[in-house]
Amino acid sequence: MKQHRKVALPRYGEYNCALKYIVEQGFETECILPPPLSRRTEDLGARNSPDLVCTPFKTTLGSMIEALEAGADTIIMVHGACRLNYFGELQEQILRDLGYHFDFINLSLFNTGKKRDILRALRAINPRRSMIRAGRSLYEAARMVEHLDDTTSFYYQNCGFDPTGQYRKIYWRFISDMYAAQSLPDIQEGYRNAVRAFEDVALSKPPDPIRIGIIGDYYTVMDPFSNLEIEQKLADMGVEVHRLMNITNDMLRNSNKNKQAKIREFSEFSMGASSTTDIWQAQNFAERNFDGLIQVKSACCMPETDIMPVLANLSQDYKIPVLYLTYDSQTSDVGLMTRLEAFYDMVEMRRKVTL
Amino acid sequence: MNAKNAFLGIDVGSISTKAVIIDDSNAMLAQEYIWTEGNPIGAVKKLLGLLEKQFDRDAWQIVGVGATGSARRMVGSIVGATIVKNEITAHAVGTTTFHPEVRTILEIGGQDSKIILVENGIAVDYAMNTLCAAGTGAFLSSQARRLGIEVEEMGHYALQSTHPTMIAARCTVFAESDLVHKIQMGHPREDIIAGVCRAVASNYLNNVGKGKKICSPVVFQGGVSKNIGVVRAFEDLLRCSVIVDENGHLMGAMGAAILAKRSLKRTLFDFSVEKMEFVTRERGCGGCSNNCEVICVYRNGVLIDFWGNRCERGAARA
Repeated sequence: MKQHRKVALPRYGEYNCALKYIVEQGFETECILPPPLSRRTEDLGARNSPDLVCTPFKTTLGSMIEALEAGADTIIMVHGACRLNYFGELQEQILRDLGYHFDFINLSLFNTGKKRDILRALRAINPRRSMIRAGRSLYEAARMVEHLDDTTSFYYQNCGFDPTGQYRKIYWRFISDMYAAQSLPDIQEGYRNAVRAFEDVALSKPPDPIRIGIIGDYYTVMDPFSNLEIEQKLADMGVEVHRLMNITNDMLRNSNKNKQAKIREFSEFSMGASSTTDIWQAQNFAERNFDGLIQVKSACCMPETDIMPVLANLSQDYKIPVLYLTYDSQTSDVGLMTRLEAFYDMVEMRRKVTL
Repeated sequence: MNAKNAFLGIDVGSISTKAVIIDDSNAMLAQEYIWTEGNPIGAVKKLLGLLEKQFDRDAWQIVGVGATGSARRMVGSIVGATIVKNEITAHAVGTTTFHPEVRTILEIGGQDSKIILVENGIAVDYAMNTLCAAGTGAFLSSQARRLGIEVEEMGHYALQSTHPTMIAARCTVFAESDLVHKIQMGHPREDIIAGVCRAVASNYLNNVGKGKKICSPVVFQGGVSKNIGVVRAFEDLLRCSVIVDENGHLMGAMGAAILAKRSLKRTLFDFSVEKMEFVTRERGCGGCSNNCEVICVYRNGVLIDFWGNRCERGAARA
């Protein structure tokens, strides 16, 4: 077994900071950060992927290739509740066919629902490391993810009303603090600094701003590159952007159990992956009188396609407009802008009549 | 001089370029509709020349300009528009002004199709095609060419048919294969044309119209609304009458002009743009691996606007 690995996880929003923390602090092993996602990543991924697979497969494959180019020799791939379980296996095969040599840690092989088994899988990174310390790093990384998600939610709910441009700087300083963190106090300090800095900025927020809720598939909705920075674009129009879908809400806190029962009126059984959560979130936004909903999904994502008729029913019952957006690796920025602007105009004009 | 205020609206689409000049009470003072022919700047210049002839420059002064359509950003910057709005909003505003009772707006343009649901004169929901442009004007144009007729005549042929041919129109390219197959099988031309028109309507309803409650009165607009065959197909499928405004093709430009009127920004517009030289250049930013395509617009050799960069790095290099 090799002792000095260089470990990488494909880019996934900014969550790579948490993996970096686990690998470096928990396993004392080097972590390679793949370059930020770019059109090149997508091109590399699309060229080597099956055509009709969903876009996250292509993007993560491209990011794996870029990680290998950057010197990584061990790739980690996560698992999930849809075809994602099969991604790792297929991606490993594609990369081997391309001629890369690397070790592959496929978490879906350890997908038993027990946290202990995930730790066992990750142990391959450095088997000589104490399991207790590695376990503690998992716990600390989970705190980091919570802080990251809380800060991100807060940022997109408020940055549209910041006339100074400070919010953006504070947010990105926080992100780089998370990447640099080496201990739990580092993480907590970075978070506290961001919270304090946000408090110092005077916002020009109207008492009742336009609120739009975003739902969508697990990867596209959380990864700003993949959704063409939809949250930032909306926020820049002066919208309070809400997204409940993140790792904290879905895995760490899981504060809303029995979602399926809560949405029984719209859907009696799960359609897989993020479908139940999405419908529940949409209903939650609608009940809180949001001005609009946007569904952000990758092309060929089956669970998200399946919930569209449910969202249409929900839209009629709650009288809330829904914008359905489908992203693939060639979706243009301009086309997205046209649809978002129109959605914003509509929501704004609608208010004048309904209020 | 007591010139009264007038407002110009320009709608530059993929296929056609439209412009209107309206007065304070939304009455049309001048209007023009020409083909874009892949040259939006040239089309706008030509259009302004045509409008200038129709328009009494002593009695009226243009104080606001609205731009819309897919070339709105560029055209907006070259004519110095006071407002630049997306075509969905412009169409909704234009149509609800002239048809305040409308509940559903169907719109099929050259490459896009959209549906706008209206309640109490305000758009409350809309959908627009995203990944697929099957069943839009471009499809009709290419089928007309294959059948050897002008696209404008299609509606006339379609009305003569009594048994429209079934065309598999899920995908534009395969629809063409199916169409060729039906021609070779000996289906009469009128029936095929009627089938194509019906395919456009049903494709639209199954695609952008999916899950939307279509209430009467229905207004149908966009270039394809000029095709009486498609209008009849919609009436059959929706089982209600479909209103086609004689100025339906100008609604986007109308909406842009009305939005320019509503906004409080006022700038005097003269027609000098016609004589200026505009050049656009596309260049890769090169600032990072994303290599954003930055578009720069030059007026008489001077950079007046640029866009396409995702971050400030692109701005510095433009």
